[in-house]
Amino acid sequence: MVGILLACAIHRGVVLRSIRYKSIAAAGALSIMAAACGSSATSGSSGSSGASSGSPLVVAGVIAITGSSSFEGSNQSGGIYPAIYSINHAGGVLGHQLVYKGVDTRGDPADALPAVQQMLATTKNLVLVAGPGTASAPTIVPVLNAAKIPMTAVAGESSYDFNTLPYFWRLFPPDSANGTGMALWAHQKGYTRVATIFGTDSGSQGDLPGVLASVKALHMDLVSQINVTPDQPSYLSSVQQLMASHPQVIMTESDGTTAGTFFGELKQLGGLQPIIGTEATFTAPWLTAVKGALGSSFEQYYTGMITEPSKTTAAVSTFQTALKATKTQVSPPWQSYLSNPFSLTYYDGIITVALAMVAANSTSPSVFDSYISKVANPGAGKTVVYTYAQGVAALKAGKQIQYFGATGTIDFNKYHNSDGNQEAVGSTSSLNPVPLGVVTAKAIEAVPVVGVA
Amino acid sequence: MFTTLISAIAFGVVLASVIAIASMGFTIQFGLTNMLNLSYGGVMTASAFVAYLLVSHGVSAWYGLIVGGLAGSLMTLVLGRFVLRPYARRGAKLFEMMMVTLGLALVLDYGLQALSHDNIYQFTVLQSSPIHLGPIVITPTQVILAGLGLVVFVGLELLLRLTRIGKALRATAAEPTLARSCGIRTGRVVIVTWLLSGFLCGLAGVVYIINSQSVGYSTGELFLPLVIAAALLGGAGSPKGAVVSALLMGIVTQVVAAFGQPAYSTVAGFAVLVIVLLARPGVVAGSQGAEAQVTL
Repeated sequence: MVGILLACAIHRGVVLRSIRYKSIAAAGALSIMAAACGSSATSGSSGSSGASSGSPLVVAGVIAITGSSSFEGSNQSGGIYPAIYSINHAGGVLGHQLVYKGVDTRGDPADALPAVQQMLATTKNLVLVAGPGTASAPTIVPVLNAAKIPMTAVAGESSYDFNTLPYFWRLFPPDSANGTGMALWAHQKGYTRVATIFGTDSGSQGDLPGVLASVKALHMDLVSQINVTPDQPSYLSSVQQLMASHPQVIMTESDGTTAGTFFGELKQLGGLQPIIGTEATFTAPWLTAVKGALGSSFEQYYTGMITEPSKTTAAVSTFQTALKATKTQVSPPWQSYLSNPFSLTYYDGIITVALAMVAANSTSPSVFDSYISKVANPGAGKTVVYTYAQGVAALKAGKQIQYFGATGTIDFNKYHNSDGNQEAVGSTSSLNPVPLGVVTAKAIEAVPVVGVA
Repeated sequence: MFTTLISAIAFGVVLASVIAIASMGFTIQFGLTNMLNLSYGGVMTASAFVAYLLVSHGVSAWYGLIVGGLAGSLMTLVLGRFVLRPYARRGAKLFEMMMVTLGLALVLDYGLQALSHDNIYQFTVLQSSPIHLGPIVITPTQVILAGLGLVVFVGLELLLRLTRIGKALRATAAEPTLARSCGIRTGRVVIVTWLLSGFLCGLAGVVYIINSQSVGYSTGELFLPLVIAAALLGGAGSPKGAVVSALLMGIVTQVVAAFGQPAYSTVAGFAVLVIVLLARPGVVAGSQGAEAQVTL
């Protein structure tokens, strides 16, 4: 906007003549570029009460679909489409089919808010929001909660550990848990000198406080803490700064492009050390970029810390079957979502909410919201179901159910959080996890982490 | 401390060579046409993808440099002749032209995003042991890229100063009307400028991904502010100025990264631009001032 005004002023000849034309036009252009890059592209639709008979119910994916965090949208597509397919294939929800609506936050709260407001203003029969993610959650969550739209967030902020908003549900451990899992794994491996490399973007910074606090709590030495601006052509000085601190292990999160450049240069300068990445590093763009940069060294050096995937169950096989059936709809390559923790989480969130609607016999969020934990949490006398179809059948038979998801047991606490174990994994060439060891939720809780907001 | 400083300066020179190649292409185009072409970053990325496709099919990355440059030339010429020129001939002013190039930039970016499926592709051309030059540790690839930057600069200076077309180009950039009345076929000069700046743009795209070792749809878009900043700082139409500015920005960013927090390195680079413009606004050498017209 500033750029446009500036350029218009120039056009009318009212700007100081002493400043050369080209420089002003260029400065304006830079501003316009920034404004254009920050603008949002959204689609919309809203309303939340009970849907009229047979009309489709909308599941909105509120996430970064474009921009540097667009991998979040890709991961989400790998969970939403299979979930909707499974539900619709089993007859839908109370006679309604589910449809997907993408709402692009671009990973930026400034873009997310107007996009969500537009969605709420124009979407009929909106029953669930899948998302938001870490960067946009603080802006978006209160708005969605006020609109009484249930959300299955993947927001990593520890501030949600003690959430009291009724429509907020998190099937994903907070970033601090992921960071503590990384520190515990490094501790178990006997590393004492830790370096951190994190992108300065808000999505990448989410895990850093947990990592730093856990490293301190476990009495390891933080020898280097480097934050890098994403997508620069070179990080050589930062690489050398890292090497000079002589770390035994590097903990990291950034976008794939940045990681590929940084670790490629680190390898070229001969400074490679074991890398422990956050859950966000276990995504196709990051793995592809760093695997390419490190070549054959990748498997030797990389460990990802992810939410422990469920072992082979009917829930997993049903998810995978649905993913194959929707492989042309999800962002390619579809195989990368087979064990993707984010995709599995989104899948479980939608199945859980759909079962809650069936259990409540209502598509009105204010009615079925309280059923979400009832259909998911374990309990005495409950029938364990692994698929939406099984759940519907059990509910129709008058049973209470526990949906055991593709991510494993879902057990919401009173803050609407369902944390699980963390698992250290390597990566196969097809980007599937290779289990290396589990860090239990109990062990994570036992680390006296302080000062993480 | 001294070792770190020397290393940071060396790394700054490497980074500068990447910025400089792109800035030289940008400043030639800007100097001649007076038009701020914001689609430059998109052409860089598209050229880089062309090189990536070649290399992924077994072609040497060093041929990729040439082909990427040619792809940049072709794309820039096509955009210049068939998109930008028609607008200019209908009387579009500098601001309108800038908006057209912004539109083109977005078309290129989002088109590449769709075609690349939003993935990041690895581009590693030479994995070899680093070279130790006293306190400086640097890779052979980085040495080659720094050398390439120097070769491009010298070649461009020779072209502009010693050849007929170079002199015609400089004359058209300085006074297009007078050049035309002196018999210089300015239309052809503009075509040569598109081809030359496009080649440097494509070359810069490939150099960028050789250095960063990956390519994604937003590669050029994110790099463009640095390129424009170096071109502005050096003065429109001045390859020498672009190189000096690129060196300044490259070294400042790397020194800040080495001695401070790397998160502020890019900020420091742009701070240089702001400080210089505040102190000496005339350093940005727009030759025709506020009356400049689009030359296409």
